[in-house]
Amino acid sequence: MGTDSARASATDPDWDVLARVAAGEGDAFVHLMEHHQDRLLRLCERMLGDVEEARDATQEVFLKVYQKAGAARPQGQVYTWLYRIAVNHCLNKLRRRKLVRFLRWENPAEDADVAPFDPPDTAPDPAAALESRLRWQSTRRAIAALPDNQRAVLVLARFEGLSYKQIAEVLEISEGAVESRLFRAMRRIEGAQESDASRVSRKEVRR
Amino acid sequence: MNRATEIELMRLLHGELPAEQAGALRAQIAREPELAAAWARLESTWSGLELPPAAPAPPAFAQRVLAQARRQPGLSWSAAPRWARATAAAALAAGLALGLGAGKLAGGARSSQDTDSALAVSAAGGGPSLAETYWDSLADLSDLDDGARQ
Repeated sequence: MGTDSARASATDPDWDVLARVAAGEGDAFVHLMEHHQDRLLRLCERMLGDVEEARDATQEVFLKVYQKAGAARPQGQVYTWLYRIAVNHCLNKLRRRKLVRFLRWENPAEDADVAPFDPPDTAPDPAAALESRLRWQSTRRAIAALPDNQRAVLVLARFEGLSYKQIAEVLEISEGAVESRLFRAMRRIEGAQESDASRVSRKEVRR
Repeated sequence: MNRATEIELMRLLHGELPAEQAGALRAQIAREPELAAAWARLESTWSGLELPPAAPAPPAFAQRVLAQARRQPGLSWSAAPRWARATAAAALAAGLALGLGAGKLAGGARSSQDTDSALAVSAAGGGPSLAETYWDSLADLSDLDDGARQ
């Protein structure tokens, strides 16, 4: 591990910070969190579709990081390791959410996965603000309707801007599998957009 | 349009094609209307996926998490031998299966006004249900497996 560790530390100094976290240095943990918390919050929010749940999830992810810091093997970038823990944590939360819905005899329709959504208006023009909100809502519905493994790939590609190779590293799958999941996700989204469009046009005709 | 061509278009969209191949595909798109339509559709779907900026971290988030990390004891599962973890996981899974069965039986026996399962979150206390507790435990075990692979 010595040579690998030295090489990884040379490419990403956060491995040294993580080693200090493992040694119990609180300042190092705060430094690591402050460096990565925004991207993990964003990732969890995209995956879970709920701001409050994303904050809880991010906190839980960092608690795991604190516990696992000593077991981490320096390889590649620290953020890839963090993303892996965060994505697995979010996938577990999504599975748990589905199970609880099933046990409560709730409709497992995709809309049930879309939390109430009221982001602040930032656009000065009300029409533009409304248009943005509609687009955001439609995106959230589209993401919520995806199977979990496709959701993870789409979020990492579209909203985190990761390459196929980086996504493959995070999810520990092949680049071919990334491509295939992304392809199926896009197919599904296109299908949903087409049915949305035809629903809107049917409403217009009825008026 | 076959799947291979659509995947090529996706690679182009995501900047995954080498420059030479990307140039050739762009030239082909310019020549072939069907390919151009598929490209336009793909670009529009991709760029239409938009979300608002994520909420920032709450103030002193890192310090609060650090305080919590120091309060809670280490996860004892990681120290447990593999056979012990496997046995515990099997017991939890069996309990979950029993819970599922009991939940469905209880739910089926009740009136249509009261559809919440006996195992679901209790309306009075709002605490986690038995099923949620089981699921948490299973999730923790699977997370440990993730950690072991790091």
